[in-house]
Amino acid sequence: MTPFDLVEPHSFEETIGLIEPDDPDVRVIAGGTALMLMMKAGVFRPRRLISMRKFASSLSGITATSSGELRIGAMTPLSALEHSPHVSRHAPVIVRTMRRLSNVRVRNVATIGGALAHADPHMDLPPVLIALGASVCVVGGAGERTIPVEDLLTGYYETALAKNELIAEVRIPAPAAARSAYCKVTTGSADDWPALGIAVTLAAGGATVKSARIAVSAATTKATRLTEAETALVGSTADDGTLKDVADIAAEEADILADGRGSASYKRELLRVYVVRAVRAAMQASGAP
Amino acid sequence: MSGGARTINLTLNGRPVSAEVKPHHNVVEMLQTQFGLFGARESCGQGLCGCCTVLVDGQPVSGCLCLAVFLDGADVVTIEHLSETGKLDPVQQAFVECGAFQCGYCTPGFVLMTKALLRQNPDPDDEQIRDYLAGNLCRCAAYPEIINAVRMAARETKAGSTG
Amino acid sequence: MAATTAPDGRAGHQVGRSLHRLEAREKVSGRAEYTHLMQLPGMLHAKIFRSTVAHGRIKSIDVSGAREVPGVYAVYTSEDVLKVIPDPYYGPAFHDQPILAVGKVHYIGEPVAVVLAADPHVAEHATQQIVAEYHELPAVFDEVEAAQNKTLVHEELRPAGTFADLKHLKGRRGTNIALDFRLRRGDVDKAFAAAAQVFEHTFRTQKVLHLALEPYASIADFRDDGVTIYSAAQGPSFVRTEIARLLRWPENRVRIKVPYLGGGYGGKLYIKMEALATAMSMLAHRPVKVALTMEEQFYTITKHPATLRIKSGIDKDGRIIARKCEVWWNGGAYADIGPRVTQKSGFTASGPYDIDNVAIDSYALYTNLTPAGALRGFGIPQLVWAYESHTDMIARALKRDPLEFRKQNLLRNGRPQATGTILKDAAIEKVLDRIADRLNWKQPVDHGTGTVRRGRGLAVALKAVISPTTSVAIVNISGDGSTTLYCGTVDMGQGSDTAMAQIVGEVLDMPAESVRIVPRDTDVTPYDMGTLGSRSLFHMGHAVRLAAEEARSKVAALRRELGEPDGSNAPLAELFLKKYGMQAGNIVGTGTYKPDYIPPDASGLTTNATPFWMVAGSGVEIEVDTETGHVRVTRLINVADVGKPINPKIVETQLSGASLMQLGFSMFEKMHIDGGQITNASLADYKIPGMHDVPRVMENETVDAIQENGPFGAKGVGELATFGVSPAIANAIDDAVGVRLTELPLTPEAVFRALRAKANKPLGRE
Repeated sequence: MTPFDLVEPHSFEETIGLIEPDDPDVRVIAGGTALMLMMKAGVFRPRRLISMRKFASSLSGITATSSGELRIGAMTPLSALEHSPHVSRHAPVIVRTMRRLSNVRVRNVATIGGALAHADPHMDLPPVLIALGASVCVVGGAGERTIPVEDLLTGYYETALAKNELIAEVRIPAPAAARSAYCKVTTGSADDWPALGIAVTLAAGGATVKSARIAVSAATTKATRLTEAETALVGSTADDGTLKDVADIAAEEADILADGRGSASYKRELLRVYVVRAVRAAMQASGAP
Repeated sequence: MSGGARTINLTLNGRPVSAEVKPHHNVVEMLQTQFGLFGARESCGQGLCGCCTVLVDGQPVSGCLCLAVFLDGADVVTIEHLSETGKLDPVQQAFVECGAFQCGYCTPGFVLMTKALLRQNPDPDDEQIRDYLAGNLCRCAAYPEIINAVRMAARETKAGSTG
Repeated sequence: MAATTAPDGRAGHQVGRSLHRLEAREKVSGRAEYTHLMQLPGMLHAKIFRSTVAHGRIKSIDVSGAREVPGVYAVYTSEDVLKVIPDPYYGPAFHDQPILAVGKVHYIGEPVAVVLAADPHVAEHATQQIVAEYHELPAVFDEVEAAQNKTLVHEELRPAGTFADLKHLKGRRGTNIALDFRLRRGDVDKAFAAAAQVFEHTFRTQKVLHLALEPYASIADFRDDGVTIYSAAQGPSFVRTEIARLLRWPENRVRIKVPYLGGGYGGKLYIKMEALATAMSMLAHRPVKVALTMEEQFYTITKHPATLRIKSGIDKDGRIIARKCEVWWNGGAYADIGPRVTQKSGFTASGPYDIDNVAIDSYALYTNLTPAGALRGFGIPQLVWAYESHTDMIARALKRDPLEFRKQNLLRNGRPQATGTILKDAAIEKVLDRIADRLNWKQPVDHGTGTVRRGRGLAVALKAVISPTTSVAIVNISGDGSTTLYCGTVDMGQGSDTAMAQIVGEVLDMPAESVRIVPRDTDVTPYDMGTLGSRSLFHMGHAVRLAAEEARSKVAALRRELGEPDGSNAPLAELFLKKYGMQAGNIVGTGTYKPDYIPPDASGLTTNATPFWMVAGSGVEIEVDTETGHVRVTRLINVADVGKPINPKIVETQLSGASLMQLGFSMFEKMHIDGGQITNASLADYKIPGMHDVPRVMENETVDAIQENGPFGAKGVGELATFGVSPAIANAIDDAVGVRLTELPLTPEAVFRALRAKANKPLGRE
């Protein structure tokens, strides 16, 4: 790694003040797992890093409001979500997702805010958060604003964050009897990055799907909602005929890319199969993590 | 202050120490060059193989992806700590008994991961063992023996703590 | 497992004990020594600037920017190397590989220049400041295309002449063929004409690599009177010979020290970083460490991709009467040991079958890719992939049971193998039967219904060990009776130190744990051809046995000299005390072993191709997800003939580990290459098997066998369980869903595409 300077401010405000919007070689580092990879590969050679470590504790923690909304500080490590009773109760799909998300060591260090700001399309958490209807609370030069996760991610490693904006908190709305599932599909070793990720959250009234959120990742340039597939599902009983239509619509709707993990045509078939499997898993999901 | 060295203070294997590190130095480099500890070693350099595992405040971390300066104030344990008294830790002993390695390069990482797993979950089932250790790679593929060793270590640790 | 001596002072049998590895304690406590982690006082770190074109003339290399980086000690190119090593080309088969590119580059990733600095970060940063310009030349990447010699990788081929089995290599111009091995037995053309049916299939294997977790590393400390090289090397003796040749020095001025290896699998054979480290240390007058990153391993050495065409003629009774094999080995830019892969695997390319008419043509080819060498099997896994898939395909086409068809045609002891060498101590049928028994072959498979289909498959293989090769060992008994073994076999995890100690213990009647193995150091440990090709237990095992036996007879002579009564069991220490009046003296036994060998004639035939046959096979049960093509191996069975195992537990772990490594090569490992550029050169994108990839049921078994001419009836193990895994899985996929894959790896997409093609709904290519 090329030598660089490191500053460790003591507050969020101080951090924002240190950002130099015009210099891409100055960046904020949270857990650092993703940024370290880029630095070691020589893809990113920083002049200066601004570490949020010194005030990480003030930005981490998980609380649940009385209505069941989860509020997660941006610097909360992924392992804290994995072991949180609040998350286990209100968003058990996250706990299930964690089991196969990267590895224990990365989960101990990587933060939820860092994971979202990095916007790597292969990550498991963004589609799950989109399906859960999560949003981020962003602080920066222009004050505070809230952005739904689906709008935060704008492209391949690209976000809607301004250069001097940072994620402060992630909010996951109250579940309201929702059922969720995430399917990670690998085509290499079992611990490979996914070739396709698909997350589904449903609200069902009896046997009928009242609302649905479906998000696809890894096979696309960014984690993306499949709204047409959602529409096709809502109002149905998730019967075989409907699911076949949902699969076709999803395959049509998603903009699938080829890479080393599979051709676009193959990944489209995977999506067709796994959107059905994810919906079925969500229909059967219990509250257990 | 452009990339200059700075002093950090930490607890390393139970003893308070200080180290001179530059911002771009990772934990593995610090342990090797400043403390002569080579049990954590960089292999893939991407946090995927686990050869560089160290315990930071009790939690396993990839030393190759962690900047040394971030250890200021931390409690760090490396593989060398486990047998400092001259006696192998029950996890190490189980790895010996089960032949849970071949070339040995990845072994310190697996041992420390097992320590952390058993502290969090003293009685893991096979699926929990696999999930926890899935982020460590062994090119000699001693995986079946490693699972046996974790099971044995769990039994021994329990027997040791109750008896 | 007791290691103590019995009350009568006897240690009992050491051979056959499932002893823990002697170095276990060091390894679990993180204290075992590896070259990649070593540091010498005053050492400089070398970082390599590599070629970005696959084939080109070097127009210019501008290193001025790198020299200006503060902290850089020196920057060197081949121009500098030539000043200290005028002929800087090395290699075990051809002297074709330059220490740094001279005039031309031959593959993307080839070392072109080196930066030295005390701080490795500084050296790495400085390499980014080097600028090279090339005049690009046409490049060739495919092995079959390379065989047409339209684009030449090298203008001239220069054979090395080092190894006894490669003395016949010839210097050539105008070709990419480093070696063509030809075998003709009987008359295949006539037999094909007479055959009731003829089958021909073509198979391919992909480029994969060793990916040892300890990447390649060497440290050279050059002084005027000699050079010491610390290296992660599987063959220290060869490294010494080759460095001495490059320096035009006698061997005794070159010292190679080898600690434990963090994996080798054939990658760390011959010269890897040693020549570069030596040249850099000569130029810098400082110790220099060349320690690669994981990514750089992709630009160092790989397994051979191959195209294999195989054709068989079957008579009306179902007997294979003719087989023709053509194999093109993609050797990459430098030959490394490709010619040996080509020839030795050529011996058994027709498989473990009794076929009267055989024709084999095997070509080692240069291409503009990372060089290829030995990887746990010396080409055998590629061949078995082809012939055991082919054999299964024939059986299915003939509506014969694949097991019965194999058994009808199996080569049996006492019958001549394709080379004409009579098969001996090769338990092929026993191995095949045990796999079938474990798979409960007689019972039909429940293939399942719905989207998950089940199947099973098996495969069996034969290998001739590399010959002729030599091993030397020294056993030294000290004045207190404690014993030290000096042998050059490198323990890279296979447990050789433990097995050798067991042999010493067996002969000298002492606990194996009490035997000290001297770390490999060519100043101390005698010659060994190399830790490769599963040869060590047999060859070095014999040398160690002979050395221990000589020591034992010297002990007996001493007992007689001292007037000890017959059958006296006086401890060794007492003998020395009696002889020298104090704790003093040594008894030294030496042993040299080199088996007989007859080189193949112009038709590839010989009556002595190998000192022993290696036999192994695998059986699998699998599930196929017909909606996605995902294949799950639910049960993996490996059965091998290892003679009488010296250490049964270590044998089992070797079988298990080898089969899991091959499982990765079978299912997903693949170097993706685009225009000669590797696009997945990291562990993030090149995946190897992890915990979740291990089949839930794994069974490893050695059949009851004995290798009559082996040390205590034993023979080699390391490569065995790689042989049968790939075709067993492909055969099981065919069994489960009726599609046949002929190219590795067996990815979900490949299976899915085959399923769609079979259903007449082919999947688009985009």
